[in-house]
Amino acid sequence: MKLAWTELRRRPGKFGVAVLTLTVLAALLLFIAGLLDGLFLGSTGAIRSQRADVFVFSDSSRESFLRSTITPETRAVIAGVDGVQAVGGMSVTLLGAVVPGETDLADVAVIGYELQPNGIPLPPKPGQAYADERLKGFGVGLGDSLLVGPAKTPITVIGFVKDSNFQLQGGLWVQPATSRQVQNQNRPDSPVADGDFQVMLVQSKPGQDAGQLADRIDAATEATSSLTKAEAENSLPGTKEQRSTFNAILATTYLVVVVIVALFFALLTLERTPLYGMLKAIGASSRQLFAGVVLQAIIIATVAFAIGGGLVAVFSAVAPPKLPLQVQPSRMVTSYLILAVCSMIGSLLSLRRVSRIDPAQAIG
Amino acid sequence: MTNALELHDITKTYGEGDNMITALASATLAVASDEMIALIGPSGSGKTTLLSIAGGLLSPSSGQVIVGGKDISHASPSELTEVRRSTVGFVFQSVNLVPFLTARENLLLVDELRGSRGKQSRDRADRLLDELGLAKRLNNLPSQLSGGERQRVAIGRALMNEPALVLFDEPTSALDTHLGEQVMELIQSEVKGRGTAAIIITHDRRMTHWCDRTVTILDGHLQTDELATAG
Amino acid sequence: MFLAIREIKRAKVRFTLLVLAIGLLVFLVLFQIGLRDGLIGQFIGALRHQSAPVLVFDAQARKNIEGSRISPDAQAALAQVDGVGRIGPLGESTFTVSNPVSRAKSVEKDRLIDAVLFGYEITGPAAGLGAPTTLTKGRLPTGPNEGVASDRNRSEGFDIGDVVRIEPGGVEITVVGLARDINYSVSPTVFVSWDTFQAARKVRNPDATVVFPSVMVVEPVAGVSDARLVTNLSTVSGVVPLTRADAVAQSPGVASVSQSLNTVIGLLVITALMVIGLFILILTVQKSSSLTLMRAIGAHRRTLALSLLAQASMVVFAGVIAGAIMMALISPALNTLGVSFSFSQLGVVGVGAMIVGWIGSLAAVLRVLRIEPINATLPPGMQR
Repeated sequence: MKLAWTELRRRPGKFGVAVLTLTVLAALLLFIAGLLDGLFLGSTGAIRSQRADVFVFSDSSRESFLRSTITPETRAVIAGVDGVQAVGGMSVTLLGAVVPGETDLADVAVIGYELQPNGIPLPPKPGQAYADERLKGFGVGLGDSLLVGPAKTPITVIGFVKDSNFQLQGGLWVQPATSRQVQNQNRPDSPVADGDFQVMLVQSKPGQDAGQLADRIDAATEATSSLTKAEAENSLPGTKEQRSTFNAILATTYLVVVVIVALFFALLTLERTPLYGMLKAIGASSRQLFAGVVLQAIIIATVAFAIGGGLVAVFSAVAPPKLPLQVQPSRMVTSYLILAVCSMIGSLLSLRRVSRIDPAQAIG
Repeated sequence: MTNALELHDITKTYGEGDNMITALASATLAVASDEMIALIGPSGSGKTTLLSIAGGLLSPSSGQVIVGGKDISHASPSELTEVRRSTVGFVFQSVNLVPFLTARENLLLVDELRGSRGKQSRDRADRLLDELGLAKRLNNLPSQLSGGERQRVAIGRALMNEPALVLFDEPTSALDTHLGEQVMELIQSEVKGRGTAAIIITHDRRMTHWCDRTVTILDGHLQTDELATAG
Repeated sequence: MFLAIREIKRAKVRFTLLVLAIGLLVFLVLFQIGLRDGLIGQFIGALRHQSAPVLVFDAQARKNIEGSRISPDAQAALAQVDGVGRIGPLGESTFTVSNPVSRAKSVEKDRLIDAVLFGYEITGPAAGLGAPTTLTKGRLPTGPNEGVASDRNRSEGFDIGDVVRIEPGGVEITVVGLARDINYSVSPTVFVSWDTFQAARKVRNPDATVVFPSVMVVEPVAGVSDARLVTNLSTVSGVVPLTRADAVAQSPGVASVSQSLNTVIGLLVITALMVIGLFILILTVQKSSSLTLMRAIGAHRRTLALSLLAQASMVVFAGVIAGAIMMALISPALNTLGVSFSFSQLGVVGVGAMIVGWIGSLAAVLRVLRIEPINATLPPGMQR
C-alpha cells in the first residue's frame, strides 16, 4: 500500500493521463447532476419551502397550479375535514418584470400566500414582496420597485429569501390581495375572484398520515385532487421524464469511467509486469500488490474529482443566473462515492493479470 | 547445524510428450549454513531453474527441497511467498530496484512486505547501507546511483530480512572487472560476516575464487564439486 | 496496415476496452444530440410547422408564447404597419382534456391528460394563417369543434375520429387530421379554429369576457421580405416581432436546453479527444522499443506513422459502430422521450469522431517520427 502511495507521489506524471481524463468526466458528471438538481430545485423551491402536508388542487386541473382554482366554499369544506389543523391559500402567476436600471426583463413568479413557509416571513403589506435571491442575478436590489407584467403592476422588494422559486422563475412572495391584483391586471382573460386561490395548503394535526388525509379531503369536497407534499414536488410537468433521462446519461458516463480506469490500469499493469515479478520474488503477495492498484485507482478518482468538482464549482459561481445549475453538497458526496467505486471496479479488471504474474520471471 | 539448502534428486521438466524439456535432472546439492557456492554453466544449462527452485520461485517436478530446514517441495504459492519473504534473499541480474524508491526505502520495502516497520527496520537498513559504503547515498533514487552502487543496494536489500540463504544471479555481469572484484569482495565479507549461505551464478570463472566451492551445471546435470582454489 | 491489425489481434483486451470507451462516448454524444433535436422538436414543433412567416410576441413575454398576450390596441397598431399583408390571431393554451371517444382501447373515457390547443383563423381575410404545414393524414379543420392533432400522440386518444373534451365538461373537438412534428411543450397538441379556441378558454375561465391572442401571425405583402416586415413591425411599442426561424431558436426553453446540452456535448468531445489521444500515446510509448527495432531493420518512418493512424482509425471506426449499435438498441425506448436518431446524425458524429481520433493520435505520431533506429543497438541510458 505504501509502495503504491509513494509511486503516486514520486511519479505523478505517470498518472496524469488517467487523472486528466477522469477530471473531465468528473466535471461532466457534476455538470449534468447540477443541471438536474438545478432544474428540479429551481422549479420546486416554492413548493418545498411550504410547511404543509397536503396540497389541494381542483380536480380538473391535473395538479397544475396555473389551472387550479379553490373557491372559499371548498376551502370551508377542507378546513372541516377531520385531521386538518390549518389551511392557507397559495396562487402563482408567471410573468416578466421590469427591473429599475436594467434593459432585460426578469422572469418572476408572483406567489400569493397565507401560511408562513420555511425561511420566508409572514405575508408583507400590499404592493410589497420578499424576492428570491435568484433575482439578484437580474439586477434586483433591496427597495427596488419592479414593474410586473404587461400591466406594469408595481411591487417593491423589502427583503430577500432563498430557494423559493417556481418553474425556474424568481419567487416574489406577496399577500393574497396583491397576488390577485397582479393576476387580474395582467391576465384579464383569466381573472380570479376575491377569496379564490389556486391551491389550498393543509397542515395536518400531529400523527396524521398525509396520504390518508389527502384521500379524506377529496372524499369530503368531491371536487378536489389532493397530493402529499412529496407528490406535489414531483407533479410538475416533465419532472419524471427529466430525471430518468438525466439519470440514464449519468449512468452511461459512470460506465465510461469504469472502462477508462480499466483501460488505464490494464496498460499500467502491462508496463509494471517486470516490477511486479521482482516484488513477488522478494515476497510480495498478489493481494498486497493488488491492494496498491486499488488504492491508486481511488486516489486518482479522488484527485480528479477534487479538480473537476472545483472547476464545476467555479463555473457554477460565474455562470449566468439563467443557467439552472445547482451543485448540492449532498450531490457532491454521492457523485464522489460513485466515482470512487466505479474507479475501483475499473481497476479490478487488472486483478487477473496481476495475480498471474510469475515471480520466477524476475530471474533469467 | 542444519544446512541452508538441501536439494535431493530434483527434476524439473517443462511441457509434455515430445515437447518435454528437462531443465534439471536428478540434481542433488547441499549448501552448509555459512557456505558460499559458485554455480557456473553455459546458457540454457539449468542454472536459472536451479536458483528458482532453491529460492522458492518454482516448485520441482519431483524431488525434495529443504530451505533453512523447512521442506518446501510441495508448498503452496502463498507458502512459497512466505519462504521468500523470510528465509531467502535475492540479487537479480538486472539489479531491479524499485525505481521510484530511494536506496533506503528499497531496503525498508522488504520489511514492509512482511508487515513490520519502525525504528528497528530503519536502523538495520541504515547499518546495512553503511556497511555497503552507501551511508551518503541513503536518500538517492536508483537513477542517481552508479551501476556499482545500485548493485550494492540490491545486496543490502537481499540481506534485509536476515535470510538463511542469499541467491545471486550474475551479480557482476553488468560491471567491469575492477568493479566486479569489488562487488564480489563485498559479497564475501557480508555473507561470511553474517554466517549466511549463498549461491552465486556467474559466467565469469575469474570470480569463482571468492567462493568456497564451485558447482558446474551442464544440460540440467550438476557435474562436479570442486573446492575453490582460494578462500 | 498489416502491422496495425496484427497488434490489435495480439492485444484484444486493451483494444476492446479502448473501443468500448470510444463507443460509450459516441453513444453519449448521439444520445445528447438526439435529445437536443428531439426535445426541441417536441417543445417548439408547433411554431416551426405553422404557416405564418412572422410572429409578433408581447414584449413582456420574453419570446415565450405561453406568457404572451396581444392587447386590442397592439393588434390595431400592428395591422397599420407598412408591408403587412395578412394578419391574424394565434392562440396557445394548455388544457386538461378527456377522451369521450377514442379508437385506442387503452384510453379510458374519464382519463384526464394535458393537451395544448392552438387556435388560428379558418375564415375571413387571415384564413389559414398559422395552420399546420405538415399534414400527413385527413384534413385541416373547416368548421367549429374540429382539429388537427400531432401524429405522435395518435395512440393516446388523438387519432382521426377521436373526440377530445376540454374539461371541466366543455367544448368537444373531433380530430379530423394528423400532422407531423407539431407538438408544443412536449404535450399532445391540437390545432383548432380561433373560435373554438376562444370557446375552450371560456370553459376554463367562465368569468373571462375576452380572449386575447397569444401572438399575432403576419404575412408580408408581395415584394416585402420577412426580415423587412419584422423591422417594420418592431416600430410598434410593447411587442417583439420575430421570423418563424428566430421564434423557434430564441424560444427560452429551446435556448436553455440547447445551451446546456451543447456544453455537455462539448465536454464529451474533449473526453473523447483525451481518451483516444492519451491512450494511443501510452500504447506507442509502451511499444517504442519494438518500433525502434522496426526502424533499425529498415521500416520507414512514414510506414510506422501511417500504421499508427490506420490503427487509430480502425479503433475509432469500431467505436462509432459500437456506439451506433448501442443507440439503435436503446432508441425504441427513447422514442417516447422524444429522442430522435438518424443516419445523418450518425454520419456527422462518425466523421467528427474520426477527426477527433486523428487529432488525438498526433502526439503519438510525432513520437514515432522522432524514433532513432540507432537506439536499437544501445543500452538504456545511452539512447538518444
